[in-house]
Formats: sequence, C-alpha cells, structure tokens
Amino acid sequence: MSDVVSDVAIIGLPESGKTTLLAAMWHMVREKGVTSALTFAGLSQGNYEHLNALAKRWRSGKRQQRTQLAGTRAVSMRLKDKADRAVEVSFPDTPGEDYSRMWERRELDGAARATLLAPSIVLVVNGNTIRFPAWIAERNALEAGLGLPPELAEVVDWKAELAPTQVQVVELLQFLMSGNLYVGPRRLALLISAWDEVEGDGMTPEQLLKANLPLLDQYLRNGRDPWTWRIWGLSAQGGVYEDADTGETLAATEELRELAKPSDRIKVVDGVTVGTDITAPVEWLIA
Amino acid sequence: MDGQSVRCANAECNFAVDGRCVEGFAIDECPHVSTLEVDDIEEVEEAEPLREEEKVVSLASGETLIRGDASSLQRRRPSRSVGIVAPNEAGKTSLIASVYDLLQNGPVDGIGFAGSSTLIGFERVCHDARTSSKRGLPHTERTSAGADATFFHLDLRPADGEVVSLFIADRSGEDYLAASDDLTRATGFFELRRADVLTVLVNGEHLATSAQRHETKAVTPQIVGALVEAGAVRRGCRLAVVLTKQDVVLASPNEARVAADFSEIVQAIIEDNGSSFATIEHFVVAASPRELGKVTRGEGVNRLLRLWLSPTPAAPSEVPRPSESTRLMDLLDTAGETE
Repeated sequence: MSDVVSDVAIIGLPESGKTTLLAAMWHMVREKGVTSALTFAGLSQGNYEHLNALAKRWRSGKRQQRTQLAGTRAVSMRLKDKADRAVEVSFPDTPGEDYSRMWERRELDGAARATLLAPSIVLVVNGNTIRFPAWIAERNALEAGLGLPPELAEVVDWKAELAPTQVQVVELLQFLMSGNLYVGPRRLALLISAWDEVEGDGMTPEQLLKANLPLLDQYLRNGRDPWTWRIWGLSAQGGVYEDADTGETLAATEELRELAKPSDRIKVVDGVTVGTDITAPVEWLIA
Repeated sequence: MDGQSVRCANAECNFAVDGRCVEGFAIDECPHVSTLEVDDIEEVEEAEPLREEEKVVSLASGETLIRGDASSLQRRRPSRSVGIVAPNEAGKTSLIASVYDLLQNGPVDGIGFAGSSTLIGFERVCHDARTSSKRGLPHTERTSAGADATFFHLDLRPADGEVVSLFIADRSGEDYLAASDDLTRATGFFELRRADVLTVLVNGEHLATSAQRHETKAVTPQIVGALVEAGAVRRGCRLAVVLTKQDVVLASPNEARVAADFSEIVQAIIEDNGSSFATIEHFVVAASPRELGKVTRGEGVNRLLRLWLSPTPAAPSEVPRPSESTRLMDLLDTAGETE
C-alpha cells in the first residue's frame, strides 16, 4: 500500500526558527525510546543529507546556519501515525528572506509559490523577537514622566521592513488566502518559537498571541479567511546554542548536552500542558 | 566504414591522415571516432534557461485601492463606504491612520480586525506617528491635490456580527474646498455619491486660534451646502461632523469657546441641509495627539467607527433593499455613472 503523501509548508519571517524545528523533529522521530505522535517509518529513496546535517548540528548544541538565500531545499520525512498509517511529509526548507520579500517587494519566486500551495501550513513566529508597534506620543509621555530629555535623531523615512511583526505575518497569511496562492480552506499550526525565552511572562500560547500579536489574533479569530488553526508554544532548542563559527562555548549549552536524551531539550506547550512531542502539531495538521 | 568520412575526437590522433588509431583501437571499436561532420549535425535550438525575472510571481501591492478594485472587493461581502471631507491639515490622514493603529492593540469597542487589502497603505500613513520614524512629534503627510480618490480597506467584525468591509476614501482637502467655489468640480467626487457616511472634519486647532476661527466657522457649512447643492452627496446618507485635534483644543485657553463654535457649526449644517441626510451626528476626536495627558491616543475614534459600520437607512425615495450583500447600487464604480 502506498503512503499517504502530505505536503506541509513551514513558513515564517527570517530567524523565526523554521530550520531548528526541522532539525529537532528529524532527530526526535529517529531517537530510540521516545514516544511521539508521529514516528519514523523508514527511509525512502530521498536524499537525507540536509536533514541529517541539521539534526547533527542540533544535537551538538550548535546554532543552525542561516538557510541559504539561494532557494528552497526539499525535505521529506517518511513517518507513521498512531494508527500505523505511513505518511510521507514534505517540508521544504525555505529561507525566511523569501517571506520577508513577499511583504517588502510584493513578489515571490516560482519555487516558493509551489511550496506555498500546500494545504497544511506551519507558521513559526519567534516569540522573543516580535517587533511591536510603538507611538511617539506614548514614548514622549513616558519619557516626560521619567524626567528624561527628548531623544534627537535623524528622521527615518518609511520602509516596509519597519512594519510590526504582526502586520507582516497577517499579510503573509492573507497572501495564502488570495490570488494565485489561494487553494481553498487550509489548516494552520501556529508555533510561537523561543518559548523558553518568553514563558517567564506566565502566559499560555493563546494569551501570548492576544497580548503580543493582537492583530494576528483578531485576524485568525474573526474568521474572514477559512483557516482551521491551533497554537502551540515551542522551544526546539531548550535554551541557548553556541555559534559554531566563532567557536564559543557556553555553560548553558553544556547543561543541555548533559541531559540524558537530546529530545529532553524540547518543550511543546499546548494550552497549559507541557510536553516534548514536537511532532504533535504536524500530526494535528495532517490528521 | 569509409576512412575519409571518419573524424576522430582525439586531437593527438592522425587517423584521418595515416589511417592508424593512436590508441591502437580497431576503427569500429574506437570510442573517439565519428562518421559525422560537424556540418552534418542538425542545429538544435536549446531552450533558454528560465530567467530569474520570469519566475517571479507578483503579489497584491497592499497600497490604497483605485475605484475599480474597491468596487470588486465590495461585491464580496456587506460593505460601508465613508467619504471624508476635510480642509487641509484638519487631520483626515491622522484619523484614517488612527483607526488602523487602534486595531494594532486589539478590538476597538468590540469591533475586531478581520483583514485588509491595504496594509502597505496604512503602514505608510501611520509611520510618522510611530517611534520607528525617529520623529520628535507625530506628523502626517498631506494627500496630493488633484489626484483621484483612493480607498483604504478594512474588514471588520463587530461583536456578534458578520464581517463588514469598510472603505475609507482619501482625496485631498483642497479638491473638496474648491467645490465651494465652483460646484461643477463636485461632479468628479464619485466617492461621496456612494458614501454611506459623509464625514466632515472641523479643525479644532483652527477654532482655537483667532486667526482662523471665523473662516473655519463660515466655510464648513458652506462646503456641506455646496456638496448637497451639486448633488455630490447621496440623499439619505448619514453625516458625521467631527471636531479634530481635541488635544490642542484642551491645551488652549479657548476650550469653551471652541465647543460653542463647533456647536454653532453643527446647528448651521442642520438648519441649512438637515433634510438631505438620514442622520447628523457630531463627534470630538484626538486621532494622533502630540501630547497625552488630557487625552488618549485615538480618543473618540471608537464612537465614530461605530457610526461608520452601522447599517445605512434606505433613502426616502429608494426601494427597500433585500439584503446588504446585494447593494450593487452603491458600488463605487456603478456603470453608467457620469463623473
């Protein structure tokens, strides 16, 4: 019996953690003694060099290199669900610059377009690098209240890249529901990455979405576009990783390497439930 | 095999001259020989590699919409159209920007953001009031005179309601002012003829100063009268008269005087043209205040937004409409309309 083939596109602005997600997932499905919603179902005829390189770097606690700007890398995993159904899940590893280019230059290349026709989408938003909108009147009131002198700086002209994170992400999702990227209703797994950096705020992923990305929260909840969506918090590294290029060594990374299993570094937060199963969002997407 | 027609690809082989293979192969076993002349090979046209620019897929610009594009979007769901008539510097662009910027923090009075086709247009007009501009005080660019109206678009969902598309027209205040001098100029204001709510802005800063106070009091009812007289306003639409820059008014010593002057302006409009509008309501806003303290950013805009989204009553002469979604008569580019 042939496998069910399921295309999943992982999207997100630059440095949102898309590649780290792939690396951690590839390691986890192959790690012995781990219980996960999706498990490894064997190698197919594909080329696993890219995935293996990502997982190796992840295991050693080294930061992933920026995905090459040249284009998308085809990545495919043969997995099986709890009902023993084999599923070939393809997740092209696309540079985040392709997505910021969609916002800033209002275009994308043909390969990225093909990727974005997938019926299931993983959207990764780095919870620790959200660019918030901020207003001059409120800043001035705050500075005046603190007795600080007004800051003098050269006026900056408008550029699309200055837009808040939530605006860029909403536009990305709107693109997927309109024009030549429209494929009908889709499923969306929204992952707030770097969860270990933001969990100290004491919010669930849904609360964080409402508080820190309210425009995105409203867009999804008001249901103009046919998304079926869920949200998770994700820490795919569990902490800080080292920069292999500079040869740095960090005590915090060493602590992560001391854990019995590399998958123990992973934290997946679903509401108030905390686990390590990084495949859960993908299982929900392809169910 | 005819030795004369044989060509060897090995440059060191003299087979063509002396008939001997330099590598010792029998001629029919040598991998380098060919019986074809270069000229015999048919020229095959290679497909040109796809150039980078040919692979590029264009996406929607996100800029404000021209009339036809706004009309296409209007057909998708119930919609409201707003025309804003404002002398220059009355705060029209700040008002438009503030609606969008308030939504950045969450729903406004229970009205939630559901999407927009003009995010780039909104971001552009919001920039100079945001800290990313590095300005010391909020600032807004003026809309260019003489250009056709364009539209900002927001899909909004009131609490317990369905998604409604809001189209806010943007045209230079100078163009509207010119209509009070020459009524024929009003014939081009297509955005007003189809507006559900005509919104007239009164510059609070001007009312607060002696130099411009009386001009502002005089000209505002005159502009409304000129637009009604010229047939630029749809009979039965709602009118919102909005006092802007309340932060400046409150900071001036003339707060009470401004309130009285504004009330007189509203009364003058009601007396002169009250019968031309389904309702006339007045509002006070501080869309993009320079200083906070006495006002909050976007104060009063929530109430105005509620009016903009409220259902339009049918004009007295209109046949009752079966449903909001079939309001083709109100589309911004209704065929056959004379500009």
